[in-house]
Amino acid sequence: MTERSTLSAMWARVQTWEGFLVCALIFIVLMNTALSPQFMTLSNQINLFQLSIEKIIVALVMTFVIINAEIDLSVGSMMGLAACAFGFLFQQGVNPVLVIPIVLLIGAAGGALNGYFISKVGLPSLVVTLATLIGFRGLARVLVEDRGITDFPDWFDRLGQQGLVGPIPLAIIAFFVLFAILYVVLQRSGFGRKTYVIGTNRDVAAFAGIDTARHKMILFIASGTVSAFAGLLYAARVGAVRGDVALGFELDIITMVLLGGVSIFGGSGTLLGTLLAILIVLNLRNGMALLNITGHIQTGVIGILLIASVLLPRVNLGGFLGTRKQGEAGS
Amino acid sequence: MTAPLLTLDRVSKRFGSTHALTDMSLNLFAGEVHAIVGENGAGKSTMIKIMTGIHQPNEGRVLVDDEPRMIAGSQAARELGIAAIYQEPMVFPDLDVAENIFISQVGGGLFQNKAGQRREARALIERIGMDLDVDRAASGLTLAEQQAVEIARALSQDVRVLIMDEPTASLSAHEAQQLRRIARQLASDGVSVVYISHRLEEIFEVADRVTVIRDGEHISTNPIGETDTDTMIAEMVGREVGNYFAKGENHARDEVILSVANLSLQGVFEDISFELKRGEVLAMAGLIGARRTDVALALFGITPATTGSVIYKGQPLTVTSPKQAMDAGIAYVSEDRRKLGLAMPMAIRANISLATLTGFLTRFGLIDRAGEKATADRFRERLAIRTPDVETEVGMLSGGNQQKVMLAKWLNMNPDLLIFDEPTRGIDVGAKAEVHDLIRTFVKEGGAAIVISSDLPEVLAMGDRILVMREGQQMAILDHDEASQERIMTLATGQAGAAA
Amino acid sequence: MMRVLSNLNPQTLRILALLLVLTLVILFFSTQISNYLNGRLFNRISSSVAIMALIATAQTLVILTRNIDLSVGSIVGFTAFATGSLIAAFPNMNPLLLVAFSMLVGAGFGAFNGFFVAYARVPAIIVTLATMALFRSLLVEFADGKSITSSLLPQWLTSFPNTPLFEIGQFQFRAAFVVAIVIVFAVHIALQRLRVARRLYAVGSNPEAAEMAGINLKATVFVAFVCSGALAGLAGFMFLARFGNITVVAGLGFELKSVAAAVVGGVNIFGGSGTVLGALIGAILVDLIETSLVRWQLVSEFWREAVLGALILTAVALDAIVMRRLIALRAARHHEKREQKMEGTG
Repeated sequence: MTERSTLSAMWARVQTWEGFLVCALIFIVLMNTALSPQFMTLSNQINLFQLSIEKIIVALVMTFVIINAEIDLSVGSMMGLAACAFGFLFQQGVNPVLVIPIVLLIGAAGGALNGYFISKVGLPSLVVTLATLIGFRGLARVLVEDRGITDFPDWFDRLGQQGLVGPIPLAIIAFFVLFAILYVVLQRSGFGRKTYVIGTNRDVAAFAGIDTARHKMILFIASGTVSAFAGLLYAARVGAVRGDVALGFELDIITMVLLGGVSIFGGSGTLLGTLLAILIVLNLRNGMALLNITGHIQTGVIGILLIASVLLPRVNLGGFLGTRKQGEAGS
Repeated sequence: MTAPLLTLDRVSKRFGSTHALTDMSLNLFAGEVHAIVGENGAGKSTMIKIMTGIHQPNEGRVLVDDEPRMIAGSQAARELGIAAIYQEPMVFPDLDVAENIFISQVGGGLFQNKAGQRREARALIERIGMDLDVDRAASGLTLAEQQAVEIARALSQDVRVLIMDEPTASLSAHEAQQLRRIARQLASDGVSVVYISHRLEEIFEVADRVTVIRDGEHISTNPIGETDTDTMIAEMVGREVGNYFAKGENHARDEVILSVANLSLQGVFEDISFELKRGEVLAMAGLIGARRTDVALALFGITPATTGSVIYKGQPLTVTSPKQAMDAGIAYVSEDRRKLGLAMPMAIRANISLATLTGFLTRFGLIDRAGEKATADRFRERLAIRTPDVETEVGMLSGGNQQKVMLAKWLNMNPDLLIFDEPTRGIDVGAKAEVHDLIRTFVKEGGAAIVISSDLPEVLAMGDRILVMREGQQMAILDHDEASQERIMTLATGQAGAAA
Repeated sequence: MMRVLSNLNPQTLRILALLLVLTLVILFFSTQISNYLNGRLFNRISSSVAIMALIATAQTLVILTRNIDLSVGSIVGFTAFATGSLIAAFPNMNPLLLVAFSMLVGAGFGAFNGFFVAYARVPAIIVTLATMALFRSLLVEFADGKSITSSLLPQWLTSFPNTPLFEIGQFQFRAAFVVAIVIVFAVHIALQRLRVARRLYAVGSNPEAAEMAGINLKATVFVAFVCSGALAGLAGFMFLARFGNITVVAGLGFELKSVAAAVVGGVNIFGGSGTVLGALIGAILVDLIETSLVRWQLVSEFWREAVLGALILTAVALDAIVMRRLIALRAARHHEKREQKMEGTG
């Protein structure tokens, strides 16, 4: 960093895409507070997170995957498969404490399957994960067929539904812990640097001795495992699983990541951007719900926001909106 | 003489505060091949972009047939009969040759007239004296054939001014010869050909007139018979070249660091054998397609050799990945900065630490950024990388400075063996000399280097010994004293075998 | 054998391979399921392929230009609903006018996508991810809690898809299927022969070169999206005619199914190569396997999607591996030929 005065450094920060997201977030929160006195209560904020917690946890790993210039469309189906596998094994009488690691392993194996076809066979991730999107969902349906499975043990449901630390449930704590760890990994670690370099130019990384196939494999295994974890959280929160758990979540998750400023072409973006986009999406949906706007329309509005997120940085409002390119790659 | 087809009249072009072109004037006549030479960054590409309507001049006029014209884009340029072909041809792999030629043709009905198209395509290909099946998909064509397709496309659009930008840079000697013949042929058909090349010797073969530009300014335009290489080089660099061509001292020590015996990669190269001592530079000479880079990639573990042995520091060595090669102390600096060498949108700092990232990790696997920056700053000073700071994106640097960043990345590894592929391709004469000095310093301090180069003066200036390859075969290893440009060329073109 | 194969155009080879796989699948299931290969199976598949073939074709047009359309399902849903509302309000409307209306609505959505992709230069995956939600929310707003039921539709419309046009043996060729097949073939011929259509391939395989060669990149991509939208609109019409009952979730999931059909049919996801004929066979193959698995006693019908996923993965992996081999084989032969030539002259 070249030296700047504190004030102009702050101004420069506002001019980044993250700066813009912060401003947008403040605006939305103020609007919501004006709309409803209940908005700023702790219980409402917890509720806000809880409703989308599975998606936003997966969005953190998806940020890595997209910065790496890949995509994982199979996350929603893997969440469904994990939830159904949990339900199925539980129904078969397997001890739930044992079931949890098994389900996480299924997630890792699914991710490894994606990783194998992408990094070893060399197929485009868009195609591979489209196939496993259909395939994993199919396996979920094989496991539970058209039944619903409920009556999980009380401790499991409690973990999903009640506060663990005060009123804050496990899932939200898990989200922020995961965010903190992944933030450091992406922004400061060697693994994070490699994620950016491979996303920028895979051949340059390979010629510098980086095992790009292994890196991609790790990312897809992580994506599968975290998706399975999110599927478990879903089962615990809702207390029931069916074949269509988390159907279509992949597109919501990708939307949040892209809105956060991660380039679809790889190589740039930050986890902070993803977090801000998550907060914006959650608060915006909440605000629209307060205005009695239905879910489909809410999604439509977020769609508009997504296109705007690419177009807005190009409109230079007196230098207010800086470039969208940011993060490690540019810094 | 008739009126010029295309005239630049005191054209200036600025980008921000940089003057890319200043008061540039040039006349192009029908039926001539006009060569333009200059160092990288001299303004050649800006000039092409103004002629083809991609850029508009800030000052001055562009005249076509003596009439001032505003060329508003490449489409407008084409309508005026101005077209350009580049080093990397622009063809569509999934269409056949005939379709490639006529893809942008306007009019002529809604449907393709396959038979007519084929006939016309054949006529055009014949006109430039190539032998090419017009029904073949473009994906299987060689570079030279692809260029022929592009020239045919330009001809189909009634080109009057054809600009060839470094057309022979990636061609084999035979193909380059063919391309120069095409250029001459087009000129005799009345086309005005602009020929841009770094290879000065070919300019004497192809051009009628030659223009030298430097720092965006016009230096001279002469009929080819009234100038020579030395004059041209002097005008290009604006100073005497000094020791660029001079051979440095031989620092070879006794220890043999690398000994390669009968190294082969099936279908690519065969029976490569050589020894390399510490302090020595082995130059690899040959034409495009001689497979020198493939030998380097085998030593670096990208595409491992199938048979043969490598003794390195007295031990047998097998590498199947760059990581293994790097662990052994072998570094490979690629010829392709953009695709294989540098992460262009990333900072100089991050590029320099790339090959040695593990060395910058602290206890928890985090990157020591201060250490990274210190290292980058050290190399910035040592290699004289001209940049405001090491946080600058590598993509913003000039070619020569990018080359130095790439070198810094590998020097930081402290390699024992440095393989440098085309170390000075596309960088200016000043930077070339600097890069040569850096390589000499490296071997003087005990390293060993393999320098792959297509630039014969460079081969002679760098190589203590010179390995000449031709189509995957090792033709000879020459000591510096017995080598000459003629000798190397004879071996590289296979004339030696024919004579024997 | 390999010589003959490697001389064929890769696209022809792909279609032959797909037909071979199709035959093998049919043969396999006819040994497994009694009375498998009958008129009923054909009718069933042909009526659902009538819709999928159009959507796969629409998707192919866009993929050829190195883009993707994730909003195709929402376009189908909206046009089905809008067309249904229109005919419900004006039951005496001319059928051709109605078809034109649905195609126009679809083309409008396509133009919206095309504008942002081609002229505003927003990546297609982002634009269509957004419009997938946006068009669906327009549908919700437009539907306003109501849905279309077949009782609101005129008789001619609901009976149209099942009207037999002609029969070969026990195979009944119904109107919707025949119309869809005719359209796919028309698009196929247009793509192979039409001057402007060849530019889709040029733009998809090398956009930069296309621009340099004087092709209007933006217009080409825009037109691809508009045509794709129109085809999706027509699919919406077919959807309405076939099902009669349209709710706000109509066409949900079609976006990924259409990409799957195209990819199985050998359309390169990175643009520039592939045929709509391949996409058609891909759609048929996907549908055939889905339908057959339901009737296969040996495994539960719930295996349908799992097998489908595996099929797509296998198809694409095999295609990639075979194509690589083929290219290597050709290169080797080229090399061989050159050596022979040199020996001949030397």
